[in-house]
Amino acid sequence: MSERKPKNIFKQGAIDASFIGDSIAKHASNTRIGGHSIFLGQVRADEINGKAVVAIEYTAYEEMALQKMFEIREAIFAKYPLTCMHVYHSLGTVKAGEICLFVFTSSAHRKPAIDACTECVERIKAELPVWGKEILEGEDYQWKQNI
Amino acid sequence: MEILVFGQLTDVLQTSRLSWPEVADTDTLRQQLLEAYPALAQHSFLVAVNQQMISSNTTLVPGAEVALLPPFSGG
Repeated sequence: MSERKPKNIFKQGAIDASFIGDSIAKHASNTRIGGHSIFLGQVRADEINGKAVVAIEYTAYEEMALQKMFEIREAIFAKYPLTCMHVYHSLGTVKAGEICLFVFTSSAHRKPAIDACTECVERIKAELPVWGKEILEGEDYQWKQNI
Repeated sequence: MEILVFGQLTDVLQTSRLSWPEVADTDTLRQQLLEAYPALAQHSFLVAVNQQMISSNTTLVPGAEVALLPPFSGG
């Protein structure tokens, strides 16, 4: 069952593949689940003015972001019959190729899990006060823009 | 009052925490900031008061937590 209080979604640095694997394994004990949906955001090495993005440095208005994430979680649980939902977002430096966002929804059947996961990711990107600074080769940087 | 500054606005204001004289409301604050930092005019940002995004002029009581938020770019 879901916890009905704000919980910390932030992790310092990249989200390890082993953490994601462990998180999947923990759900084996819940045999009411019939489908999981997972979104993983990965830092992309875009080229900006001929320089590659080597990392993104994330900062957040943490308290406000956690409260907003709580509201999003409540809204999504009210809308979809989910068994559980887990969200992790990186803070600090995440190198190109590493994982910076992990959204994991589970349900008895696939569709609610898939739809809830998509909606959650879209709302995170639009509504959480989080900022990414794209670190370029050679000490340059630019502030990330979400499309 | 203390103003929390985030994202690209930390480049414009050269800080993530700005000490500022108390002001009556958020419109006055925005106007004062634009006068002090003309480069702010090139950036869009929203103001949050006590962690709530505001959409119209809002009275500021002493001790209110004010934050300047440029467009979000998480994920």
